[in-house]
Amino acid sequence: MSEILSTISTLVIEGNFGEMVDKTNAALEEGLGAEEILNNGLMPGMDHVGVEFKAGNMFVPEVLRSAKAMQEAMEIIRPMLIESDAPTAGKVVLGTVKGDLHDIGKNLVGMMCEGAGFEIIDLGKDVEPEAFVNAVKEHKPNILGMSALLTTTMRTMERTIKALEEAGVRDTVKVMIGGAPVTQDFASQIGADGYAANAASASEMAKRFAG
Amino acid sequence: MRTNYRVNSGVQFRMLSDDQLEELFNGVLHILEYVGLEVKHERAREVLKKAGAWVDGDRVRLPSYMVKDALAKAPRSFTIYARDGNPEHDIHIGPGRAHFGPGPTCVNFIDVETMERRPYQLSDVPYVAKVVDSLPNIDFCESLGSVDNVPYDLSALYEFVEMFRHTTKPIVAWSFDYYDSNAIHQIAVEEAGGQDAFEKRPTYIHYCEPLSPLISTTDSLNKLVFAAEKRIPLIFTPCPLAGGTAPVTPAGIIIQAAAESWMGLTIAQNIQPGNPFIMGGVLSVMDMSAMILSYGAPELSLMMAGITELAHYAGLPLWQTGGCTDSKTFDEQAITEGSLSVFFSALTGGDLCHDVGYTESAMTGSVFQLTAMDEAIGYARRITRGIEVNEDTLAVDAIKRVGPNGHYLKDEHTLRYYKSEYWLPNLIDRTSYEDWTLMGEKSFKDRTIARVQKMLAEYEQVPLKPETEKLIGKVLAEAEEWVKQQED
Repeated sequence: MSEILSTISTLVIEGNFGEMVDKTNAALEEGLGAEEILNNGLMPGMDHVGVEFKAGNMFVPEVLRSAKAMQEAMEIIRPMLIESDAPTAGKVVLGTVKGDLHDIGKNLVGMMCEGAGFEIIDLGKDVEPEAFVNAVKEHKPNILGMSALLTTTMRTMERTIKALEEAGVRDTVKVMIGGAPVTQDFASQIGADGYAANAASASEMAKRFAG
Repeated sequence: MRTNYRVNSGVQFRMLSDDQLEELFNGVLHILEYVGLEVKHERAREVLKKAGAWVDGDRVRLPSYMVKDALAKAPRSFTIYARDGNPEHDIHIGPGRAHFGPGPTCVNFIDVETMERRPYQLSDVPYVAKVVDSLPNIDFCESLGSVDNVPYDLSALYEFVEMFRHTTKPIVAWSFDYYDSNAIHQIAVEEAGGQDAFEKRPTYIHYCEPLSPLISTTDSLNKLVFAAEKRIPLIFTPCPLAGGTAPVTPAGIIIQAAAESWMGLTIAQNIQPGNPFIMGGVLSVMDMSAMILSYGAPELSLMMAGITELAHYAGLPLWQTGGCTDSKTFDEQAITEGSLSVFFSALTGGDLCHDVGYTESAMTGSVFQLTAMDEAIGYARRITRGIEVNEDTLAVDAIKRVGPNGHYLKDEHTLRYYKSEYWLPNLIDRTSYEDWTLMGEKSFKDRTIARVQKMLAEYEQVPLKPETEKLIGKVLAEAEEWVKQQED
């Protein structure tokens, strides 16, 4: 493997996003393709981060810096990947549901999924059911992820799923939900496809759903 | 007569110096003046603007004189009363008085019969209220859960009704928004005998929660404005996560949380000068692996001690936190984390210490944890009560009487003092090995479960007035109608 790809992996592992743009451009100048940079530079780095996080050797602030490093490179290579029709992991539309302004968990899920190679469309927080529906129509994602921290706003997830049904697009996406008060029972009750207890398992579930 | 003689009543605990507290205090004023908060409430923004705040869209900044003025208006000492006039259940908030009670809104509950974890039901509220009513060291009531099996928007209202029916101790009532806050207040006012009577003897505290970092949300301010207008004592408590929604350093999270709470203080004191205000919030670390707000971390106790000292420096009572755990089950971790935080909270004299009985990082409420912590609070209170030193407690006369080689067991001095000087345990076992064996080799956990069952069996209800029950029927019927209309 070329030295520059191994450097890119290391930058991801170290969360060194400051140097990522230079190194990605350097790799491209060396004649490496976007797909190669993704699969043999960025992804091995993120895989390592995932393993270390699970083992309790890395912590969230470090993981987020690694994800940020990956993002920096993705900004450059994503247009090339799209142009070359390279297979990507898929698209994820994410948002914190209406009435809820807590978005830290949702942001984590976004970063972890991005680290797993997904394209993320983040609708932000306090997102209306209609906005989720429109995003599904527009972006045709593989996965729709909703989060809520408050017991008071959990119900909006159910309303959003109903809105997807009414718009006739429910079957086009897998719906994943999460957030502190959310449970597997609740997910089954409102007809979501999956419940993830944390950001790491959310990205794993996304991979399963999209795969 | 003594001159220049100093008495320490209780254990002296102090973490921060005056200089450090002044620095924290100025840090809070700085945030409010130069960063400001998003205040997502038009009426609140108008009130603040009129009083001198700088308003730019949602962003509101407060000149420090406004904050100091609000602090000066809020009382340091006040009383929350038992609904039945039982003075032993009154809570006198003031310097050197630490009170304890459960927390609100857990999703799950440990079933009192099966000990299994399951969603919190309406029928659980009376259990919690009865246990609160019975435990000697639990001073106020929250329900340890959000009721799962009633219309969602009415769960806080139903919860209040069941707490109000089953304990006479003061209640800290949370609610969703204006509608249920108003319904709860009508019920409390009816029992008190009118709004004027309620204002003189308030029986519950209204609980509102702004959002970190630096947002006063619409629903939290709907509730705060309502409480201020009705002169209901209120708690305004954010729940920042160090390293997540607040700075990772204790000093940083303390000043951010104080700024969030004091924005509420300033709004409330401008609407209702002198309305009792209890400063929040709940400060702890976000666990950087599990991504939970830790309720058992030493940093929780440390940060809570810091913000308590800041509140007292500024002349406000504080909404303390303790007796809670990250443990999933009733085990050694639950007792260790709960007991240490209870003791630390008692040392700070934090005025109302809540979340006693929280397990699983606030996801599951447990009356077993609550009951075990009652024992820890009793233990802590004996220590914080301190050592009384006077001629009689020095016992020189008794020492003379007994002399060398005697004993104190039947001396009148022993008889006079042993009950007040000793703390008598309820759950802790000090029997001999033989007696312990004879009594069935029961563990602390076994004895706690037995005590919960005994309290529930022996509980005697002090009913609400018939007119209050009548009003409750009406309020709930109207509320059910209101919910139906909301759905249509």
